[in-house]
Amino acid sequence: MKQLQLFTFAFLFSLFAFGQTKISGKVTDSHQQPLAFVSIFLKGTYEGTTTDVNGEFEFVTQKKGKQILVVSNLGFDSKELQKKVSELQNLQVVLKENVNSLNAVVLSAGTFSAGEKSKTTTLKPLDIVTTAGSLADPIAAFQTMPGTSTVAEDGRLFVRGGRAEETQIFIDGIRVFTPYVATTNNAPTRGRYSPFLFKGISFSTGGYSAEYGQALSGILLMNTIDEPENERTDISVMSLGVGLGNTQVWDGSSLTVNTSYINLGPYTELYTDSNQWNKPYEAFAGESVYRKKVTKGLFKFYAAFDAARFDITQTHINYPDGLNFKTDATNAYANSSYRHKINKNWSTFYGISYTLANTKSFINSDKIDNTQQAVHAKVKANYKVGSFYKLNFGIESFLQKFDEIFITPIQSYSYGFNNRIFASYQESSFLFSKKFIAQLGNRFSWNNLSHSLQTDYRLSLAYKLGNKGQLSLATGTFHQNPEKEVLKFTQNIHSESSEQYIVNYQRNQKGMLFRVEGFYKKYKDLIKYNTVTPQFTSQYNNKGKGFARGVDVFWRDNKGIKNLDYWLSYSFLDTQRDFKNYSGSFQPSFVNKHNASVVTKYWMENWKSQLGLTYRFASGRTYTNPNISGFLNEKTKAFQTLDFNWAYLISPQKILFFSASNLLGTKNINGYQYANTPNAKGIFQREAIRPSADRFFFVGFFWTLSKKETDNQLNQL
Amino acid sequence: MTLIVALFMGLISNAQSPYEAKMKEAFGLWGQNQPVKASQLFERITMVETQNWLPYYYAAQTLITSGFSVKDEAELKTRLDKAQAFLDKAKEVSPKNAEILVAQATWYIVWVAFDGATYGAMYSGKVSNLYQKALKIAPNNPRVVLGKAEWDIGKAKFFGKDTSAYCKQIEKAIELFDTFEKPTPFYPSYGKERAQQVLSQCGKQK
Repeated sequence: MKQLQLFTFAFLFSLFAFGQTKISGKVTDSHQQPLAFVSIFLKGTYEGTTTDVNGEFEFVTQKKGKQILVVSNLGFDSKELQKKVSELQNLQVVLKENVNSLNAVVLSAGTFSAGEKSKTTTLKPLDIVTTAGSLADPIAAFQTMPGTSTVAEDGRLFVRGGRAEETQIFIDGIRVFTPYVATTNNAPTRGRYSPFLFKGISFSTGGYSAEYGQALSGILLMNTIDEPENERTDISVMSLGVGLGNTQVWDGSSLTVNTSYINLGPYTELYTDSNQWNKPYEAFAGESVYRKKVTKGLFKFYAAFDAARFDITQTHINYPDGLNFKTDATNAYANSSYRHKINKNWSTFYGISYTLANTKSFINSDKIDNTQQAVHAKVKANYKVGSFYKLNFGIESFLQKFDEIFITPIQSYSYGFNNRIFASYQESSFLFSKKFIAQLGNRFSWNNLSHSLQTDYRLSLAYKLGNKGQLSLATGTFHQNPEKEVLKFTQNIHSESSEQYIVNYQRNQKGMLFRVEGFYKKYKDLIKYNTVTPQFTSQYNNKGKGFARGVDVFWRDNKGIKNLDYWLSYSFLDTQRDFKNYSGSFQPSFVNKHNASVVTKYWMENWKSQLGLTYRFASGRTYTNPNISGFLNEKTKAFQTLDFNWAYLISPQKILFFSASNLLGTKNINGYQYANTPNAKGIFQREAIRPSADRFFFVGFFWTLSKKETDNQLNQL
Repeated sequence: MTLIVALFMGLISNAQSPYEAKMKEAFGLWGQNQPVKASQLFERITMVETQNWLPYYYAAQTLITSGFSVKDEAELKTRLDKAQAFLDKAKEVSPKNAEILVAQATWYIVWVAFDGATYGAMYSGKVSNLYQKALKIAPNNPRVVLGKAEWDIGKAKFFGKDTSAYCKQIEKAIELFDTFEKPTPFYPSYGKERAQQVLSQCGKQK
């Protein structure tokens, strides 16, 4: 019996042993270091094992013929080996480290992004609305970043010595031609678009990708939300007007509509300012996004419409009765895009935008009526091989038609232009290792007015120093078509160009970010003319030039002190230009040599409140005093403002918001307006250009109705 | 001879399917606090059981819950990115599955727990929404009821609101745990201890 038992066991064992093949080998990383706990198995079977501390593995299989051996480890790219089982012995497998946005080097020279999860994120989406002084305008929030100048009476983005027109704004990769709302002389404008519809915004002050052209100094990229979470209705009642929004979600598609009506009448009644309002500022705005998911793609349609009007009389040194300014402006913008993922290597994008903007302005007895139509169409493709190589290429065209009629009591003039630009670009990025990335691209654009072809190159490198630090370099050439203020009078003029060099060092630690960036920018072919402003009779040429150089520093910390989040930014800018009607190289009047911001946000648990304080400082700007010789020969005093806001969460769905700008009531001077002719004593009288009111207050109540009780409009404030 | 027969019989009757054996082995690893190894084994099972959502679910769940103790952000992202890939597969195989939605909610909660200042505002809406969806699909699933109630308690505490209504939900969840029957072997069954723990704290703080 015992023998029989033994026999049985032997029989059973031989049965198991029969036809077994041993699979063995060793797994290392790319530095030949053994990898432990790597999972090794035959695909489609349960047979497999895990490597030991020496990276070695061994197991037996009964499978025959060709099999796929999978080698996979967390944090590494998996490998599959297809071989005969008999050949799967003493294998040497090298796994490459897998790359994600947190552990790998990223191109960061020039860029500030307000995104979800990336190491380069300097601003979070919520920051746009919780920064005191920004009043929910993304443009204003980015003015607390280094690299921007403080031109308080203008409100647009001035990047590193560039004019506001040198920074272009894109929604879902498609250009916005008229990003700013209509305002009167010396009153700051704001962005047309509410931050509420956007999930990520990135702001680049130089060295950006070849995908973006027609911008000499900076770009602002805003991407709309792909998928809203649920249906909701937002109601806002503000000291300046009312707002209503609604989101509908269906299976695979959604629609968001926001509308607002703003009327400054009650406010200006209560707080009279230095303007005489004949008809208060009044604006209606509506915007909507429709999104539809299809099997392998996402379709988005964004449309915005707004109309604004006002009638104001401002004091002016050259008009004893004041300068009357009346505006009636409408703006329509539609943008549609489709993203398609073909397979794991290829994806494509198609986008087109159409702008129709009309502005009727009445200045004393003159009338200016202009209409701008613009189209931007773009097709691009992305190809990638693992995380190592990426190719991005595409073609685009910009069509712009501008017509203006200028009517004086005596005569009328009509003029305009029709401009077409065609461009193509291609850009490759190579991730040599988790530590080193390079991106190289070029761009060609053809301009129908000047019949010229422009070639640009862009190069960007980044190298990781240790775990926390990273060094980045970027350089490139940039071209931009002359702006419409010139093109409407002459088309016999070429593009302006710039050349940029950027060195950036960035250090990240949990909750803390430090970055310092040095740059040098050279301008060529700037447009010059021989009159104070561009006119029909002016002589134009491309002989202007200039440079800008400086250092930007940024520090952000939200971990050091409990419930306090703050950032500091400082920019030093040295720039001179010879353009427009300048008689030589001068520091332009839209530039401050020193700019600094301190932004703080403090969460008060007990009060359910977020308090924000922002302090901004900017050194004086140049102006021309005709009483002494020279051009741009004097500087204003420094600019300062301390802004405050308070968001109180009454309940998860009700928020009370209060904000006040320039708490200290600093009397800021943005420049001087001189009389055209000297007085009896031979002196040109002057008047300071000042904000219409030193302080500004805002109160709003925001109420969200949704089935889900956490939704609120904090994002919208 | 009887012995041989008995031996064979025993072998046969004891024999589990390889699926069961491997699932048990993986749970064993998880129980020994080796979540990454357990996840790897669940992943291996997914390669055979391609149309079964459970191995994908567990391959994700092991990594997600392990994320609560990870201190390094890059490491956490590595784990959660991988977990997300498994969740996506699980959703493909089994759409409208409340357990997977709860796992997805937990995925976001790990980020919120890691850095509330950054991810709280970003993800809290998503978490609430996922529980809402899960509740619609499976109103009597104890893990859905527990997860939602616990999340609501956290929020109510944040706003200094009364939590007693949610404590009742926790009690309801415990009852549901007692009566819940697994529809299939290896169907998720965790949560009762957690519910009792939450209940014992419930209402004690304002």
